[in-house]
Amino acid sequence: MVTKRSVSLDDEVASSVEEAAKQDGVSFSAWLSSAAEKQLRVRQGLRGVAAWEGETGSLSAEEVAAGEALLARLRSGVSGVASRVRRR
Amino acid sequence: MSTARREGLVYGLGALHAAARGDRMMWALHRAALSNGIVPVIPAVTVAEGYRTEARSDRIGELLAGTEVEPFSDEAARRSGEIAARCDTSDLSVVAVVEVAERRNCAVVAQRQAVLRTAASLLGHELVLYAV
Repeated sequence: MVTKRSVSLDDEVASSVEEAAKQDGVSFSAWLSSAAEKQLRVRQGLRGVAAWEGETGSLSAEEVAAGEALLARLRSGVSGVASRVRRR
Repeated sequence: MSTARREGLVYGLGALHAAARGDRMMWALHRAALSNGIVPVIPAVTVAEGYRTEARSDRIGELLAGTEVEPFSDEAARRSGEIAARCDTSDLSVVAVVEVAERRNCAVVAQRQAVLRTAASLLGHELVLYAV
């Protein structure tokens, strides 16, 4: 099922979306819909993290930084093994 | 050992178990991915295995809220089955994780298992693994 909505986009954003959609071989609408879906998942996911933190305690600044560093290492192609981060 | 840059993360069964037992590094990594606009991917067969083997389904649900569950398509099923046969394993969940990692250029978050590397090798894929 599809809902039609009229949306306004900044000119530059619209032309970038058009280009990206062409590169990905999908329609303008499909590309926007996919981007919105991803953004919603991020939002729901962060709510999931917050729910877990509500049960177990918030991640400390040190833990957050360790997570960011691990992500950066994995994205750059470096494998790793689990190690504990100290909980404050 | 450094290799090509990865676009995202794919979670294996070990990632679900780590999240369920409250592994704080697992949750910190998950948070970092989402904060950087990365939605981790998890094969549907791995989700099924997670719910089969993990009692803390509430925590699995909290983790899955921020993931893309990839359906087991005809093509992925065929490839996974063929790789599983060549690895001599019946663990389709593990093989599906490697298949997704190769196809979508992702780093893997899973338990260390020999079959992960064997499957990656068969696909000609250099595995980037965070062993939980």
